[in-house]
Amino acid sequence: MMSSDTARWARAEALGVSMPELAAYQDEPQQMRSGTAGKTGFLHLGFERRGCRTILANLQRRAPYMAQRALYFDQAMPDLAHVFLITTTGCLLQGDRLTLDIALGPRAQAHVTSQSATKVHSMDANYAVQVQTITLEDDAYLEFLPDPLIPHRHARFVSDTQITIAPSATLLCSEIVQSGRKHYRSSECFGATMISLATAAARPEGPRLFVEKLLIDPQRYVMRQTGVMGPFDVLGNVIVCTPKNHADRILERLTADVDLTTGVAFGACRLPHDAGLIYKILGCETAQVKAKVRELWGVVREEVVGARLSPPFLWR
Amino acid sequence: MRTTTANDCFEALGSAISFARMLQFGESMFPIGGFSFSCALESAVQKGVVTDASTLRAFTLTAVEQAARGDGIAVIAAHRAASAGDVDALIHIDGEVYARKLSDEARLMSVRMGKRFTEMGAQVIGAPLLRKWLECIDASVVMGCYPVALGMNFAIQNLTAQQAFVVLQYGTASTILSAALRLMKISHVETQRILFDLSGLTEAAYESAARAHLSSMASYAPLAEILAAIHTKAHVRLFMS
Repeated sequence: MMSSDTARWARAEALGVSMPELAAYQDEPQQMRSGTAGKTGFLHLGFERRGCRTILANLQRRAPYMAQRALYFDQAMPDLAHVFLITTTGCLLQGDRLTLDIALGPRAQAHVTSQSATKVHSMDANYAVQVQTITLEDDAYLEFLPDPLIPHRHARFVSDTQITIAPSATLLCSEIVQSGRKHYRSSECFGATMISLATAAARPEGPRLFVEKLLIDPQRYVMRQTGVMGPFDVLGNVIVCTPKNHADRILERLTADVDLTTGVAFGACRLPHDAGLIYKILGCETAQVKAKVRELWGVVREEVVGARLSPPFLWR
Repeated sequence: MRTTTANDCFEALGSAISFARMLQFGESMFPIGGFSFSCALESAVQKGVVTDASTLRAFTLTAVEQAARGDGIAVIAAHRAASAGDVDALIHIDGEVYARKLSDEARLMSVRMGKRFTEMGAQVIGAPLLRKWLECIDASVVMGCYPVALGMNFAIQNLTAQQAFVVLQYGTASTILSAALRLMKISHVETQRILFDLSGLTEAAYESAARAHLSSMASYAPLAEILAAIHTKAHVRLFMS
């Protein structure tokens, strides 16, 4: 039992060792070694459709990753299973390895989010790795909208997301990355050593749909450069994998603009192989980016499920 | 980690012929349609992101850096695969390049220029590998992206991977700069200065790309990608990207 469990989070360890951008950071922290108990979190969320409702049929967890139970509070989609991801350490530290595995069976509908922003703390040894596997079977629908990532100065963070999606399923998956704690001190803004965010998607039978590897490397490349971040501080990157007819309608309703006065830029492109859309947002503040993600979320819900968004929580 | 292989920089052909062929297949007059793309400069000028020589230089530098981190690695990998006559590897590289073209217009540009470059090569040079690759494109076995066509063509001509990489980088910069002459108030002297300046970065960029594995192809230019998205929605367009 233990060996098969270990295999489930072994990819996080293997990834960190194999990535060229992490070659210089293989030293061990003076505190707890990398990948030890308490630093290797694992969470499997298996959603299944039961009647008209989606249930969290399979939950496996290992601290510091955990989830409690599915909640049903969305009045617009009362059968949608909501799960809040919890990391008991409240942040990512050097040597942490997190593995998240989300699987939706046929016609299951779920919304997964985090409790709050994920801080990636400053590092003087090693790095933090997050590995995510998302599997959607026929007609499944997943909204995966975690809160922003806040990389602290000298953070080294690698994320790898592998998506397997049936042609009829829909995945809305967002990632918001801040430049750092820019209001704390100016050296925090783009102060992370290296942030690597890779996403790859494929159909269940194998064909590759698309790959994106964003490598934020402020030591080698100028973040403020025209075409990179320019005057903006926060990136929103949203992937909408959905059948082409939905993607066409969603794209029709989306606008694209760079507004240097209000400090926001956004636009969507079609992904290769009719996989769906990718929507990028830049903002000077996180709230602007979150608002645009919510706007897209509303459009996707209306076009794919035919439901509206409920009003936002006052505290989110 | 891969080290630079012997034939990557080896001057196999007489250097005068080699330079002439590199110029022929690398210049902007080569009829593969590069002149019809602006790589999102058109939107950048319309939205006030690029306004003068300084912002144009920075925008072009971003494009050149992104090319070196992505397509440049594929050009070198394709050159190595073609030198070894490994068609399966070329098919794999082509798939990896296409899967990373996340903007509609970047895909269109890569596929269109790749096919024309292969066609021209097949007709001018007449090598069996180029004819076979063209059949693969026509049969939709491959998409036929430009970096693969370029690396393969140069390997067949016994030109080096470094020369193919230089053509990619130079072509990226010159496409944007020649579009700039038609899109904004800028002089030939200013665009040539930028081109001269950016060419000075090619050596280090090649060394880095030649060491990288295909899976290391990466990017980070969100503002340029948003500008590309704006271009696809624009009603009035002078350029195709």
